[in-house]
Amino acid sequence: MTVPEVRQHPEHLEWVGKSIPRVEDPKFLRGRGNYIDDYEVPNMLEVAVARSTMAHAKILSIDTSAAEAVPGVVAIVTSENVTDHVNPMPDFGPSPDKHTWYCLAVDKVRYMGEGVAVVAATSRAIAEDAAELIEVEYEPLEPLTDLLEALEDDAPLIHEALESNIPFQRNFTFGDVDGDFAAADVIVRDTLWWGRSGGQPLETVGAVADYDAATGMMTIHVNSMSFTHFLFLLANTLRVPSNKLDLQPHPSGGSFGAKFFEVKTATIAAMMARITGRPVKFMQDRLDNIANGDHHGSDRYYEVELAAKADGTLLSTRYKVVDNYGAYIQFGVGQHGNSLAQAVGPYRMSSIGYDLTAVLTNKCQQGAYRGFGSEVGNWILERMVDLMARELDMDPVDIRRMNFIQPDQFPYFIPTGNVYDSGDYEAVLNKTMELSDYKGWRERQAEMRAEGRHIGIGVCTCQERSVFSATEFWFWFDEPVAAPVTSAPESVTLKVDAMGAVTATLYSNASWGNSPETMVAQFVAEELGVEPEDVSVVYGGSNQGMPATGPGGSRFTIMVGGAVEGASQSIRAKAAKIAAHLLEANEDDLVWENGGFAVRGSPDQRKELAEIALAAHMFKHSLPEEIETGLEASHVQDHPYTTMPNPERTNLGVFYPFVGHASHVVVVEVDPETGRVEFLDYAAVHDCGTVVNPRSVGGQVIGGTVQGLGSTLYEEFLYDEDGVLRTPSFAEYLIPSAMDSPTLRVGHNETPSPYTPYGIKGGGEAGRMMAPSAICAAIDDALGIRIRRLPATPERIVEMVDAKD
Amino acid sequence: MKSPPFEYHRAGSAAEAAGLLGELGFDARILAGGQSLIPLMNLRLAAPGHLVDITGAPDLAGCGANGGGLHIGAGARQRTVELHADTLATAPVLADAISNAGQVPVRHQGTVVGSIAHADPSAEMPAAFKAQGGTVTAQGAGGTREIASEDFFEGYFTTALEEGELVTAVTVDAWPAGTGHGFLEFSVTAESWPIALAAVLIHTSGGAIDRASVVLGGVAEVPLRRPEAEAVLVGAEPGAEAFEAAAEAAATGIEPLSDSFGSGAYRKKLARVLTRRALTTAAERAGGDA
Amino acid sequence: MSTHDITVTINGAMTSANVESRRSLADFLRHDVGLVGTHIGCEQGACGACTVLIGGRSVRSCIMFAVQADGADIQTVESLAPGAEMHPLQEAFRRHQGLQCGFCTPGMLLRSLELINDNPDLTAEEAREGISSNMCRCTGYQYIVDAVLDAAAEMRAEEG
Repeated sequence: MTVPEVRQHPEHLEWVGKSIPRVEDPKFLRGRGNYIDDYEVPNMLEVAVARSTMAHAKILSIDTSAAEAVPGVVAIVTSENVTDHVNPMPDFGPSPDKHTWYCLAVDKVRYMGEGVAVVAATSRAIAEDAAELIEVEYEPLEPLTDLLEALEDDAPLIHEALESNIPFQRNFTFGDVDGDFAAADVIVRDTLWWGRSGGQPLETVGAVADYDAATGMMTIHVNSMSFTHFLFLLANTLRVPSNKLDLQPHPSGGSFGAKFFEVKTATIAAMMARITGRPVKFMQDRLDNIANGDHHGSDRYYEVELAAKADGTLLSTRYKVVDNYGAYIQFGVGQHGNSLAQAVGPYRMSSIGYDLTAVLTNKCQQGAYRGFGSEVGNWILERMVDLMARELDMDPVDIRRMNFIQPDQFPYFIPTGNVYDSGDYEAVLNKTMELSDYKGWRERQAEMRAEGRHIGIGVCTCQERSVFSATEFWFWFDEPVAAPVTSAPESVTLKVDAMGAVTATLYSNASWGNSPETMVAQFVAEELGVEPEDVSVVYGGSNQGMPATGPGGSRFTIMVGGAVEGASQSIRAKAAKIAAHLLEANEDDLVWENGGFAVRGSPDQRKELAEIALAAHMFKHSLPEEIETGLEASHVQDHPYTTMPNPERTNLGVFYPFVGHASHVVVVEVDPETGRVEFLDYAAVHDCGTVVNPRSVGGQVIGGTVQGLGSTLYEEFLYDEDGVLRTPSFAEYLIPSAMDSPTLRVGHNETPSPYTPYGIKGGGEAGRMMAPSAICAAIDDALGIRIRRLPATPERIVEMVDAKD
Repeated sequence: MKSPPFEYHRAGSAAEAAGLLGELGFDARILAGGQSLIPLMNLRLAAPGHLVDITGAPDLAGCGANGGGLHIGAGARQRTVELHADTLATAPVLADAISNAGQVPVRHQGTVVGSIAHADPSAEMPAAFKAQGGTVTAQGAGGTREIASEDFFEGYFTTALEEGELVTAVTVDAWPAGTGHGFLEFSVTAESWPIALAAVLIHTSGGAIDRASVVLGGVAEVPLRRPEAEAVLVGAEPGAEAFEAAAEAAATGIEPLSDSFGSGAYRKKLARVLTRRALTTAAERAGGDA
Repeated sequence: MSTHDITVTINGAMTSANVESRRSLADFLRHDVGLVGTHIGCEQGACGACTVLIGGRSVRSCIMFAVQADGADIQTVESLAPGAEMHPLQEAFRRHQGLQCGFCTPGMLLRSLELINDNPDLTAEEAREGISSNMCRCTGYQYIVDAVLDAAAEMRAEEG
C-alpha cells in the first residue's frame, strides 16, 4: 500500500465534536445491560473449573469418581482426555508447536490456577462442589517465576519441546545506533522493572454455548473476543467447520484488553455443550479471572542507555529487554510492537537499538492490557529522559521541549519505520503548563518544602499510537512466515428503512465500556443528517456477519468511522439517483444538505432522505428499472495506512500510524515515613486529533489515568518464588477506589490526522500510557529518590528513602 | 465462587443459640452479619456444616451505655455502633476503629461482636476493644461467663471461647475524663486491609500521663498490647519526646510476618510511625484536662 | 440440601420463594427473581457491584445469604425507573457520563441514592468518600462524583 491521500476535513461538523449523552447508557442505567451472565436459556448447565494447586508439576493421575457421584453432575473433562475433544488453542506465538496450550493443562501444570478439569452440572454451586472432590496426583517440579533465572542454563524447563525457556530472541537495530552513541557527549544508563498488572474489569469473562447436533451449528454467546475475522481459528480449536460457528456478542462489563482475545472460556463452554448436548454457561469467578484469565499485562526487565549531546539533544536509545510471558505466549511479542511504534516518543532521535528476549515461567500468560506494552515503553523512555535531565542539570520540561518533533516535520518517520501522522507537541505542553499552573506550583512547592512537606511535581510528554496493522503479528520473524497477514477490517451495514429510520449493524463485539454505539450514532447523524438518538445500533452475529476486528489498539472509532463513511456514501449515491428521478432533475445538479437532496440553486426543490427511502422501498415501478428495492449499504473498512517491513527488519514499515500525544503534570505529597502518595493536583492535556465526543474522551483519559495510577503504585499479580499466586482476589490485588483517585483537570488539543475520517486519532488507551511516567517523576521530585521498579508500593518508597539516608 | 452447602438455623434467643451450638457440635458456627465468614465461605476457605443465625434474637440486639461502660450486643451492627452517641461518648477509639473497617455497606450488615469474635489480628475492632479494655460475655450450655478482653485473643483467628460457646455481648470499659484516644492504620488503598494499625489511649493528670494503653494490629498473631511502650508513657509528660520513645518501645521486639501487603520489616516501621502519630492525636484530645 | 421458605419485599412487591440456604441474595435476585440489574463482580464483598438497599441501607448482596434477608424490604436498581422516565439520579449519571461499561452502575446508583437521602447537601468530598465503597474500573470516579452532586441538586429542587 502506498501513502493514503491527505484528506480535506469539512470545516463545519454538526455532530462530531459534541458531547451528546451516550446512546448506550439508558440500558445500563436501568440494569438491563444484557451482560453475558444475564443470559440464561432453559435446560442450561453451568461449569466450574478445577484449578491446579501447584505452580509446576507433572500430572500423574486424576480421580473423578467422587465428583461424578455428586447429584447434578452431568459431565467431566480432565487433562487426561481434553485432547479427545478439542484442538490446541489459537496461538500467534513464535513456535506454537513448542509451547502448545489447550483449554486445560495437558500432562503437566505450568502455573498455579491452570485448569486441570472442568465439571458441567445443573448449577454452578454443584459444579464447584464436584470440582473440589476431583483428586489430582502431582509430581512436583521445580517452580520458576523469575525472568532472569529463566535465562540460566540449568533453569527448569517450562516447555520441554522448546528446549529452553526462550521462545523469542532478536536484536533489532533501527538506524545508526553505534554511530549515534559514538557521537554522544553523555550517556545515561539504568536498570528498570515494570511489574505485572492487568485490566481486571469488574465483570469477568463468560460464555453460553449451545450445540445443535442436527445442523452442526455451534452458537456461543460471549462477552469476549472483539474480532470476528479470526474466528476460523476458534472453529479449528473446537473442531467445527468455520461456517458452523456463530458468535453472539453481549456488552462487556469492562475489558481494558483483558477480554480482547479471551478464547478459553468460550472453548470450555462449547466443549461441554457438545459433550452434554445441552446449553452450557461458563462464567469465570474472580479467582478464575485473576489466576487463569490469560490476560496479565507486561512483566519486564530493562537495561537502557540513552545518548545525548551536552546541550540535551537526544540522539539514540539502546534497549535490552526481557519480558516474562508466563507459561504460554499466545500473542507472541506483539506487546513490543506497541513499544516500537512510538519508540522515540515525541522526540527527534535518529536510531533505536532493541534487543528483545521473551521468557517463559510458571505464571499465568500475558494478554492485552490498555496500552498493550506501549505504556511500558513510554514509562521507560520518560524515566530515561528524566535521568538525562538530572545528569545535565536541566529542567525536565526544557529537555523535552527542545527535543520535540516540530509541527512542520509531519508526517514524521521514526527509525523503526512507523510514521507519526501529525502533531503539535509544544502546543499540548503549553496548554498543560497553563492548565496545571506549573510555575505557580513550583513556587508553592518551594514554600511547602520550607514547611517540611515533601511535595513533588512530575511532567511527562508521551505518545499514543492508534490503529494497529496486522503486520505487527509477524514482522518479528524472517520471511517466509506462516501467515503474513495484512488485513484488519471493520465493517458496518446501514439500512434506511421505508420510514427513513436508520439501523446500523456492527459486526464485532464492540461494547466494552467504550462508546461504540454513540460513535456510530454520531457518525451516521453526521453523514445522513439524522438525529443521533434516532439511529438504532445493533450487533450482527458472526455467522451472518462481515469481517470485523473490533476495539483494540485504540482502533475502533477510526475504523468504524471509515466504515460508516463508506456505507453512507453508497446510500447517498443510490439516494441521489432516486431523488433525481423524483425531482425530475439531473443527478449532477443535486446537492446533499441537511439530510436530503436539493436541486442546486433551488433549495425548495428537495427530497428528504425519508421520502427517498419510502420510494426506494415501496415504489419500484415509479423508479428507473435498474434501481433495486431497498436502501441499504455495507462497507468494509480496512487499515487506512499500512506498509510492509523490509526483509532485513531494519525497517518495520508503517504499522501504527495515527499517533496522538499527551502531557500530564502531577503534583503529589509523599509521606516519607509510610510511603503514602497523595495527589494535590493532576492536569492532563490530550491530543487525539478531532474529538468526536469530548466528554467521552475525557472519561477515557480520567479512567485510564486512574488505571495507570494503580499500575504505578500498587497493582500487581504477585507470585512468590514457589510460584504461589499471592494476589488471588480483590482483597490482595488492589484497585484504586474513589478516595485514591485524583480529580483531573482535562484539556484537549486537536491536531487532526490527515488520513482518517474527520481527522480522528484513537484515544481509548490514553491516561494509562502517561500516568506512570508523570507520577514517578513527581514522587522522585518529592523525595529525591529514583523509582526504577513498578509498582512503587509504599513499602518500596520507604525503602528508597531509607537507602538514601 | 459459591459457598459450600450448609444447614441454616435461626436462633430466637441467646439460650437457643447456645443450645443449637451444643447440639450441632464443632461443625456449627454462629452467623451474625456474616461479613467476615461469608467471604471465606465463598472462597471455600471455610465450610461449616451448620450456621446459627442470631440476628433475630431480641436479647442479643442493642447497644448503649451500661453502668459507665458500653454494652454491645452480638446482633448490633457496626454502623449502628459507630454512629451511636454512647459510643462516641464512651468509646470513641472504637468508633474510629469501626469507621476504618471495611466499607459502609459492609458495616451496615456486619456486627462489632462478630468482628471481635472472628479475632483477625489485623482487624480494627479487636485492637480497639483490647486497647480500651472490657469484657466478653460468653454463653454455652453450662451458662454464661465473662472473659477479660486481655485474655480473649489467643492466636490467629483463635479466642478463649470454648466449643459450644458464643459471644453474646461485649462491654467496653469507660476511661475517666481527661482521656484521649488515637486510632491510626495504614493500608495501601483507602479500602484495602490495613497492613498495620495502632490503637492508643492515654489519660493525663497534672500535666503527666498517668494511664496509657498501646495496642498494635497486624504485627502479631493477636492484637498486641505493648506494655513496654505503656511503661515509657506513664509518668511522662505528653510530648514528642515521650511519644517517640514510646513508639520506639512499641516497635522493639515485635516480629511481624510478611505477606503480599508488606514485609515484616515494613510493618515494624509502620508500627512505630503509627504509634507515635496516634499518641500525638491522643494527647491533643486528652489535652483539655491535662 | 437445606432449603427455606422466605418472604421478602422486592421493589415494593411481596415475593415468597424457597431457597437453598447457601443461595446468596445476589444470586437469588438475579437468577430466581430475574432482576439481573444486581451484578456480581467478586463474590467477596470487595467491589460493590452487587450493592442493594435493605430498608434503605446499602448492603453487599453477594456476601449475604438470601435466607438472611427473610422479611426484608429490598430495593434494586430496577426500582429506580419503573416506567418511561428515568430517576433524576440516572439522568444525572447520563448527563455527566458517570458510567462507561455500566457494570458497577446499579450498585453505584443505589449507594449514591443512599448518600443523597442521608445528606441532600453533600459536598464533592463527601460524595467521593461515600462512593469509595464501590469500585469502578472505567471512569476514575470523577464523573460519578459530578453526577451525584448534580443529582442531589436536582432532587433538592424537586423536594423544594
